[in-house]
Amino acid sequence: MTALTFLDAEHGNRPASGRTDGDRVLLDASSMTSLTGWELKPEGLCRGDVCVPVRDPELTVDDAIDAARFAAALGRPAVVDAAAGVVAIGEPSSERRGPIEAGLAPDFTLPQLDGRSFTFSSLGKRKKLLLAWSSW
Amino acid sequence: MEWVDAADPRPTFTMVLDCELLLGELYGIYNVPTVIWVDEDDRIARPPVIAPGDDMFRDFTNIDSSVHHDQLRAWVHTGALPPASDREHVMLPTDDEQLARLERRVGAFLARAGNGEAAELHFARAAELAPMDWTIRRGTLPLRGDDPFGEKFFAFMGEWAAAGHPGYGSADPNAPT
Repeated sequence: MTALTFLDAEHGNRPASGRTDGDRVLLDASSMTSLTGWELKPEGLCRGDVCVPVRDPELTVDDAIDAARFAAALGRPAVVDAAAGVVAIGEPSSERRGPIEAGLAPDFTLPQLDGRSFTFSSLGKRKKLLLAWSSW
Repeated sequence: MEWVDAADPRPTFTMVLDCELLLGELYGIYNVPTVIWVDEDDRIARPPVIAPGDDMFRDFTNIDSSVHHDQLRAWVHTGALPPASDREHVMLPTDDEQLARLERRVGAFLARAGNGEAAELHFARAAELAPMDWTIRRGTLPLRGDDPFGEKFFAFMGEWAAAGHPGYGSADPNAPT
């Protein structure tokens, strides 16, 4: 068992179960499902009512899923660093562009300074000023 | 956190921590301080705009903070938006930028874990993919042990200017000046 980390924008870093094989990171199928919501079924990769057919014979190795091939099958960008045991899977630009092109303010949930979660839409129907700042 | 803790009086508005730069990805934020106006129906009334809260760095940014403040007050009180010619263009994320954000995210995780050597490879790839993104070019400097106000920042400013961008500002090449 190798210590692996899975990264995404919404959740930050989370531990993952699986192993490395050369430059590949192979995540246990159950771990991939709990991390991403996608489950490998006979009809393909499925989440909710959506299934994406997969014809890549190298997607799985025994009971594990190749992280890079998983992302490719779903059309998502990925960075896999097997030496460091890290996988980051993101959203395709087309999904991020949609709300921006439509002029919609995407909802988000992030931690406040005291650790409690805050959801942007909880501010309701009023004008809102969103300020992004960093001390660098 | 230290900046928030040092604030006196402490801000009363909601503050959130965005370690993975989720908002940058959702809204197309490439630099800070960036402000976005969102109306009562959760529509973007004004796309991301560089808007310093005061004039502390005005000599450097060439941005008069009172202009944005006045425009903001007008919008809040009357709903009036600045003329289109004064507003920024919406920046849509590209495939390279999305990949750059992942490279930055992996680099930041590795740097925080003390694996600076591995992190550097990812930061370098992120910079190649999104060379004009300040959150990547300047934002990673402290994680790389560099001064965000130092030599490497001013080298980046040189690249920024050479690419045709006016001063400290938006990544939008057609942004009003």
